[in-house]
Amino acid sequence: MTTTPVALARDLPVQRVMRAQVDGCDLAIWRGISGQVQAWENRCPHRGMRLSYGFVRQDSLACAYHGWHYNCEAVCHYIPAHPELQPPASIKPVTYSVVEHQGVLWVNTRNEAEVPEFPEDSIGIRSITFDCPLSVAFEACLAAQLSDEAGLSLSPRQLGDAPLILSFGNQQQADSVLLLFQPSDLANVVIHVLAHHSYSVDGRIGISQWCESVRRQAELNHEVAMNAGMECTHE
Amino acid sequence: MNNGLEYAMHDWYPVAIEGELEIGQSRQTRLLGEQLELRCDDSVCDASVCDASQRAGNTGDSVGTITIFSNGRKLPVQRAFNHLWTTLSEKPRELFAISEAQEPGRRLVPCGVVRVKCSPLRAVENFLDIAHFPFVHTDVLGAEPHTEVYKYDVRIDDTDDEVIASNIRFYQPQASKSSSGGIETQYIYRVPAPMAAVLYKTCPPKPEAMDVIAIFVQPLDEETCNVWPWMALYDDVSSMADLIQFQQLIFLQDRSILENQIPRRLPLDPKMEIPTRADLTSVAYRRWLKRHSAWYGAQISIDSLQNHSEGPNAHELAE
Ligand code: FES
Ligand SMILES: [Fe+2]
Repeated sequence: MTTTPVALARDLPVQRVMRAQVDGCDLAIWRGISGQVQAWENRCPHRGMRLSYGFVRQDSLACAYHGWHYNCEAVCHYIPAHPELQPPASIKPVTYSVVEHQGVLWVNTRNEAEVPEFPEDSIGIRSITFDCPLSVAFEACLAAQLSDEAGLSLSPRQLGDAPLILSFGNQQQADSVLLLFQPSDLANVVIHVLAHHSYSVDGRIGISQWCESVRRQAELNHEVAMNAGMECTHE
Repeated sequence: MNNGLEYAMHDWYPVAIEGELEIGQSRQTRLLGEQLELRCDDSVCDASVCDASQRAGNTGDSVGTITIFSNGRKLPVQRAFNHLWTTLSEKPRELFAISEAQEPGRRLVPCGVVRVKCSPLRAVENFLDIAHFPFVHTDVLGAEPHTEVYKYDVRIDDTDDEVIASNIRFYQPQASKSSSGGIETQYIYRVPAPMAAVLYKTCPPKPEAMDVIAIFVQPLDEETCNVWPWMALYDDVSSMADLIQFQQLIFLQDRSILENQIPRRLPLDPKMEIPTRADLTSVAYRRWLKRHSAWYGAQISIDSLQNHSEGPNAHELAE
């Protein structure tokens, strides 16, 4: 199991919780008032409620169902139905290793999260979900033409395969665009898009629109492949 | 393998509200994974199949006769608590009683149906739970800081084979449509069948009586159900529409929880989910299901089958 990007850090402000999936594993990711990020299995140990529907109070995540509070050590320290009770230490959600690095949140569901190396001068543009398997999304991104603000075409280069990272750029210039792939389950991929900080607002909007056109293409390719597959099985 | 169907198929389940279908109408639904067709016509009914419906007081006027088919087979039908009930069994268990349905002066209110993508057992367990009121039904059935669940009693009644929880009290900002301010509400719960639950609660306009609210759950399959809430109230002020709207709001709030519990089926393995003292009703309910092998809609692990212990004692956990 590798370390996977799950969100742009700026999309998770303090005292908020969000849901993410990594290879079909459902996660609740939240940030307490002190700024620290937690990544937990998205299941409350009490009655199984998805913790991503909960709410953050100070440095605790409270479950939406019965309000049990869990602190940053993943220890349940307050059960509202029994305000006087010191909850048993055995009540703990499953936790995963998470790090915040270069504006991206990285999770490893098996081991310590280790962040891959990539150019440091980039900033987050957006995260976008492709409704197709990882391989189809990757092919579509690889085949898509992308150029920088001066109109120079950028060539794609794979930086890593676990996690899968695609970089578009000209080696000499500060114009790189990075795509970080998060396989959320067998049918969906989230791509976190970063770009060199020198891109203007219009340039960033352009990259964002490019992502959408690549998504349409990828989903179309997937649909065509599925239909072709159906015809084969009919023969 | 989950063979909970073995138990579940001998119970009666609601499939429609009485009088909801007009003569000439038909409707498709599902029960325990089987496709059903309900037909309403004005023909004289076949006594051998629906004599229960006659007994239950079908006056046979404009109501029409309901016939229910499953794979070409006619199923038994009966009317009770303003609903139409059916069963897949040739020798069903008797449908439980709610004696308050006969009490003069009560308004009987079928509240429609809520489709929920969860196990029918999860829907019942949620109905038995009070600790969620301040968080899920905020400012209506509960509110912080009044979150404490005081000690209450739970037993399995061996004569009627029901789970019964009593002596429950809870602070409620707006206990029902007819209440105007916060009160401490008393509750009694009973589970007369794995997929039905009845509660009795303080009736604000008539302190000597208790309102009755029930849910009748129609299991479409192990992970999908129709919940049919029903009430028998002393309230002659609120309009029918208001009463129904109030209950519908409550159940829609519950649905947002029920569709987000993992796993979708109710885990009977005591290691899967941790109860506290407030969950004694749920603990008893799970034990009772296990005792009957009423596993339709439950998640059974190898562990929970091999392990004959009935799970942790919630008293120990919480005290
Ligand atoms: S399910 Fe989370 S507090 Fe009960
Ligand atoms: Fe509820």
